[in-house]
Amino acid sequence: MSHWTRRNLLRGMMRGSAVVVGLPFLDLFLDGNGEALASGAPIPTRFGTWFWGCGVNTARWFPSQLGKGYDIKPELVPITPYRDKVSIFSNFNCNLDGRPNLVHWSGVMATMTGAAPLKGGVSGGTSELPTIDCLVSDHIGGGTRFRSLELACTGQSGVSYSMRAGSTVNPSEVDPVQLYRRLFGTDFQDPNKAEFKPDPSVMLRQSVLSSVKDDRDELLRSLGSADKQRVDQYFTSVRQVEQQLGQLLEKPAPAEACVVAREPGKAELGPTWDVAMRTHDLLGQLAVMALACNQTRVVNMALSIAGSNLRKAGDPVAFHELTHEEPVDEKLGYQPKATFFIERSMETFASMLKMMDGVKEGAGTLLDNSLILATSESNFAKIHSVDNLPIMVAGSAGSRWKSGQHISGNGDPSSRVGLTIQQVLGMPVTSWGDGAMRSSKPISEVMA
Amino acid sequence: MIAVSKFGRAASMGGVAAILIGLASLAPAEKVTAAAARPPEIALAPPGFRRLNEAQYIRSVEQIFGPAIKVPGRFDPPLREQGLLAIGDATVTVSATGIEQYELRAREIATQAMAGGNVNVPCAPAATDPFDAACARQVLGRYGRLLYRRPLADAELSAVVAIAGEAARVNNSFAKGLETGLSRLLMSPNFIFRVERSVADQLAPGGYRLEDYALASRISFLLWDSPPDEALLDAAARGDLRVPTKLERQVDRMLASSRYEQGVRSFFFDMLGYEQFRGLAKDQAIYPKFNSELARDAQEQTLRTIIDLLVTNRGDYRDLFSTRKTFVNRGLGALYKVPVSAAGVDGWAPYTFPADQPRGGILSLAGFLMLDPTHEGRSSPTIRGKTVRELLLCQPVPQPPPNVNFALVQDVTNPLYKTARQRLTAHQENPACAGCHALTDPIGLSLENYDAVGNFRTHENEAEIDATGTFEGKPYTGLTGLSQRLRESPDVPACLVQRAYEYGVGRPAAGGDADWLDYAIGQFASDRFRFSALMRRVATSPALASAAPPGPVTAALSYDYKRRIR
Repeated sequence: MSHWTRRNLLRGMMRGSAVVVGLPFLDLFLDGNGEALASGAPIPTRFGTWFWGCGVNTARWFPSQLGKGYDIKPELVPITPYRDKVSIFSNFNCNLDGRPNLVHWSGVMATMTGAAPLKGGVSGGTSELPTIDCLVSDHIGGGTRFRSLELACTGQSGVSYSMRAGSTVNPSEVDPVQLYRRLFGTDFQDPNKAEFKPDPSVMLRQSVLSSVKDDRDELLRSLGSADKQRVDQYFTSVRQVEQQLGQLLEKPAPAEACVVAREPGKAELGPTWDVAMRTHDLLGQLAVMALACNQTRVVNMALSIAGSNLRKAGDPVAFHELTHEEPVDEKLGYQPKATFFIERSMETFASMLKMMDGVKEGAGTLLDNSLILATSESNFAKIHSVDNLPIMVAGSAGSRWKSGQHISGNGDPSSRVGLTIQQVLGMPVTSWGDGAMRSSKPISEVMA
Repeated sequence: MIAVSKFGRAASMGGVAAILIGLASLAPAEKVTAAAARPPEIALAPPGFRRLNEAQYIRSVEQIFGPAIKVPGRFDPPLREQGLLAIGDATVTVSATGIEQYELRAREIATQAMAGGNVNVPCAPAATDPFDAACARQVLGRYGRLLYRRPLADAELSAVVAIAGEAARVNNSFAKGLETGLSRLLMSPNFIFRVERSVADQLAPGGYRLEDYALASRISFLLWDSPPDEALLDAAARGDLRVPTKLERQVDRMLASSRYEQGVRSFFFDMLGYEQFRGLAKDQAIYPKFNSELARDAQEQTLRTIIDLLVTNRGDYRDLFSTRKTFVNRGLGALYKVPVSAAGVDGWAPYTFPADQPRGGILSLAGFLMLDPTHEGRSSPTIRGKTVRELLLCQPVPQPPPNVNFALVQDVTNPLYKTARQRLTAHQENPACAGCHALTDPIGLSLENYDAVGNFRTHENEAEIDATGTFEGKPYTGLTGLSQRLRESPDVPACLVQRAYEYGVGRPAAGGDADWLDYAIGQFASDRFRFSALMRRVATSPALASAAPPGPVTAALSYDYKRRIR
């Protein structure tokens, strides 16, 4: 395949010869085994996180039986159709080991980064290490336009559990219209179009970013040590965008399942339940399209902030407040109003699974070629417990992950799940995390 | 060793007797007793690296390229740290999606600037060559200086000119070259961040100070919340900011400028937590008067009240808690159930609440009463009390402990607990909760006569509201009583001084700052609590101009600030 460098093409332009390249239309069909494209490129593996706030009711969520074919408790009923594709992890903990239990923060950061955080609370905080999606996207996301996509369903872009250590979140896209334009606007190149013409103005944009990197050394000389890390993160981000632009200069590989729909209509955003659900499904459809069209390999979806502000219209009290204030119904044994949101959250997760499983790719589906880590920040939000965190992994990473099992961690750190994901995705990681959350023991039961 | 600065210059400026004896060797306890007799000291911090916030970015672009420029795209969300967004700005960086947005924005701004004739090009390229490097250097050097808020070094400018040349030749257009050069400048961390530098201080051998252009930016963002204009940059270039009389002249010019009002608005926007107005929602079924327009008006009303009292009338800051003078428009008139004059029907009209109205002071305005994004369907006395403690008194309230048993906490449908006070009293009986809730709830409960959008009420769920409270051991009744207590509290002006200082230097006040802060708090009282006198004092202070060399954090920064004089 031709490799266009910016300098080469700019030289071509400077000599006055317009460069228009029509590359041959590549074979869209898969090879006989259904696991690779006829061109020899394997079907890519995708990774995602899916976050919901305020945990679960242990007795109504976790299966009793371990292994395959686990029993489905009331709160997990929505995932029944995907039981063979969803693994449930129980008794994996956030081991604080002397660090504070930062309410609605420690649990999610422990699972996502492998380290209990030192600062934060219900409105967010800092992370000690990068979240797993950043590590995975560094590994598998380099060849696509977007390293990752962050999405949140309640209209607040600061709601995101994707961070590169420190206090800066990777902000979420919250508006389906904006997301559509970012993904499929002017810079989008249809992977299944025969004609391809690299755009010289993209090369110029790359040149500008490349030149910005020259500012780095002087900055590092003048700043204090804490700020040097922030400078480095800035330039890491610049490099990422430069690479994204580089993708626009390559003829995109064909994508069997890529179908671009029309721009969604403008709609209300916010934390009331119906609105957030609709936003989730719209953002989810676009994310699935982006994955199928090779625009990204990594998607992070946050249903709401951990101290969830999801609320039924007309009800004065939101999910998070309900978990703390609503009495446990003696007869039922749980908080009925808060539990409404737990059950709806699982329905929403099932909706994401349905969208992904509906995209055929090779012998399976987009979901089969992915791993989606779904989790919450608490076990029982009423008391902020971070033992026995609810964790699911959906998909099978193209048969590299043995899906559909219920596995107990016997009190091990929840970072074991993240470590296993990284190893299954082929990352050279033997141990992961920090302090009491550090683990070097992958979950061998799921490794194919 | 504790790093402190010894300000020879402070003496002449602050009128404080200068006794410069081995201060650094004194233990903190000894310094306390000696504090009154010495010039004030601050903790020396390494130069800062502060991300421009959204408003500062937009204002910079408008100031440099003209008000017609549209600034597109989404900004990374702001972060509030230790009471201020200005402190959070000094801890954040830019995510990759953030860079994506800055890149798009830089191109669109540069295109508009060139197309709209907003860029002054005092030369024309030769016909034979699409790129005139000398001319480009002149143009990009000028705009580079405004955008970076300092002149560009030769090598820096050459790199920008080179990229402009590449673009001019590819497109066979000089204008396109300049446009690309401008977008290159707009993408630089030297524009997107306020990059500070420290330099050796010639007047204090072995000492360091903030470099002149960095000081110009500190002053300009403090007073205008926008970048230095050409006059201030010129003054920095001449070294004027190191000459007290010339520095004062610049600061007085800026205080007299029409931009100062924006600076005051920005400061209070930050101090009062007004970023929470963005996306603020209340349940329409419960609060039919609420909509996003009313929220915007509520924010504007308080800012107008502040500007009128503090800037227009040069009033006493403490009067913000009692003044009945404000401004209303049609929407707020309906909320407060007061008549609105003809001027207020289409815009804003001055209004004075009569003595029989339950309104007076900024706490009684909707801008305070509705500003709680965590409760959409009711008022939260805890959040209101926390807001008063943290934002107005600079007293951080601890996070709730993680292992609380919430079994006692309120249930709004429980017939035994009709009012927030009854529900929260049950809450306070739990010793694990009581400590912190004793800080917040008595304040918040005394405001319960105002619902979550600011409507006045005497009953909740048919039960009469008891709005009694105590503040620092003194009993009072209702919002008016609380406002009076706050107006008398020495913590209120002290907190303002602390915030103004932190806002200027971009970091939380530390133990080593106590000398200067205590001094400034005393001076604020002598200035009869005039806000502009405080801003002038901070802007002209050696404290704002001081900096440590780049390096590890000093001991003077590593412990918390505690006010010593009361």
